[in-house]
Amino acid sequence: MVNAEGSYLQSLKRGHNFFSSFHMRRKILGFLFIIPTILFLAIFVLYPVISNLILSFTDAKLMKSEYNFIGLDNYLKLFSSKMFLKYTWNTVIWTVFSVIGQLVLGLSLALLINREIRGGSFLRSFLLIPYVVPAVAIALITKWIFNGDYGIASKWLQDMGLIDYRQSPLALYGGAMALLVIVNIWRSYPFPMLIYWAALRGIYKELYEAANVDGANKLQCFRFITLPQLRNTTIVLVILRIVWTATYFDLIWMITGGGPAGSTTHLPIMIYQASFGSFRIGYASAISIILGIVLFICIIFYVRKSGDFAD
Amino acid sequence: MLESQGISLINISKIEGFYMKIRAENTSRKLIQRIILVVLTFLAIGLVGFPLFWMVMSSLKPPTELFKMPPTILPQNFSLEWYREAFSNSIVVHYFLNSLIVASVTSILVIILATFGAYSLTRFRFFGRKAITIAVLSAYCIPPIMLMIPLYRIIASLQLKASLFGVIIGHMTVTFPFAIWLLIAFFRSIPREIEEAALVDGGSDITVFYKIILPLCIPGILSTGILVFILSWNEYLLASVLVSQDTMKTLTVGLANYISSVEINWGVIMALGTATTIPVVLMFTAIQRYFVEGLTAGAVKG
Repeated sequence: MVNAEGSYLQSLKRGHNFFSSFHMRRKILGFLFIIPTILFLAIFVLYPVISNLILSFTDAKLMKSEYNFIGLDNYLKLFSSKMFLKYTWNTVIWTVFSVIGQLVLGLSLALLINREIRGGSFLRSFLLIPYVVPAVAIALITKWIFNGDYGIASKWLQDMGLIDYRQSPLALYGGAMALLVIVNIWRSYPFPMLIYWAALRGIYKELYEAANVDGANKLQCFRFITLPQLRNTTIVLVILRIVWTATYFDLIWMITGGGPAGSTTHLPIMIYQASFGSFRIGYASAISIILGIVLFICIIFYVRKSGDFAD
Repeated sequence: MLESQGISLINISKIEGFYMKIRAENTSRKLIQRIILVVLTFLAIGLVGFPLFWMVMSSLKPPTELFKMPPTILPQNFSLEWYREAFSNSIVVHYFLNSLIVASVTSILVIILATFGAYSLTRFRFFGRKAITIAVLSAYCIPPIMLMIPLYRIIASLQLKASLFGVIIGHMTVTFPFAIWLLIAFFRSIPREIEEAALVDGGSDITVFYKIILPLCIPGILSTGILVFILSWNEYLLASVLVSQDTMKTLTVGLANYISSVEINWGVIMALGTATTIPVVLMFTAIQRYFVEGLTAGAVKG
């Protein structure tokens, strides 16, 4: 202790401008630590985004390095294309139902794991597993259990008479999208569940006690205390999940590849097909810029809502 | 006197009866609630567990049993034949090694970069700190599908398409903002007073970082590293685009090619799916306590 005070005093005596030099040094050091981050983000995130924007005004092809600027042609072509409208609509369906489903399921399961029950922490760990199951594994399981000939779930549906004998719901025009949404909900509910669970633990117990004294039942407690307290969490979750779901490529690509008859093609798959199917990366960039603008608006909302960056 | 006592006695017994009735109703209601809760819990476990259970079981069934209709729930004869067939293919071994290399290198590089970045953003005050934090958070929202074409062009122009570097760069791009995000939450949970005291004691910034902050953050840093490993291991889109040779493909890309082929060898892909999934699930189970703490600490602010 004496030592500590001694060295503190010593360092005070060392120079009259101790504080300014000390703080200056920390400023420089802090900045040095962040430089790799800035460089990395600039090269591999900022540059790609800008490059995307530039390419969207060109007729660039995948294998060629030279290209011409063609102004807004790509965008005009997109907006006059019937396919673009259809795939945008598919994206909306896919995103809206997936996000609603995962939030509702996430909240329900958060309420479940929030109760003090035996084996509660085991249950929580178990319910988190889908978060790390690789999309490719989910895809192969889905294709297997909904296989028309040997799939156990197809068999159940066939026995119930919902689909024809030896048929798979993945081959049906509306069935494929419905199934994909369900599979996506299975894959992505753990994140909302965790966030809701954290939010539930943050609600003051006194609120419920006061409500109990006033004679409120459990349903009323949920409706008038829990839900309003979760409002901000829900807004942030909705925005984050919209961004991630609308741009999520892997699952649909691996399960249906966009079919049958384009019924499950959404904008990310359209981008992929334009880039690696017909090699028109200028056109593909235009699609991703349009998708990006919509998402950018979402991100701005997210940053403002989750604010409070100064600790 | 007697009369009033009698009356009050009657009243008390009446009141007692009334309360017992309420209590009985309450306990039976509690019981029903408990039953519903237990049923819901098991339903949730079943819905989450069944698909994975079915994949593992299918991979263990011998060929004759795999295609039986109606299917057997548990294999009558356990067999490892599909695993033997899958791993006797040398390209599958390549896929596994590639995934292992890519995920390991990605997580090590990301952790080094992100630890310095997050430490700087939480502990130092300098011009533009807030703007950089916002930029990192926004980068977290930029999806791989939008980075795909430019990254492809960068990797192709650097002539890295024949190696694993392209995939590593791609995976760093998508995992780096996430890692910083988690680490910021971890660092914020460590009181500043500890290092301020050490600074006052005459430690230099570098020694304070190595001797005091780093040891305290090891659990957080390690679990973030494992998460990055898992994300990289699971990633499909960039891994499929940023590499051209078959021997340089990762496990997810190889497996996805198997699923979309015309003649699907179901037994083999079930075995490979199981072999891909089990390591990450085990790793995640080991670190999920830290993950839950980190994610929820960062998120409640919303």
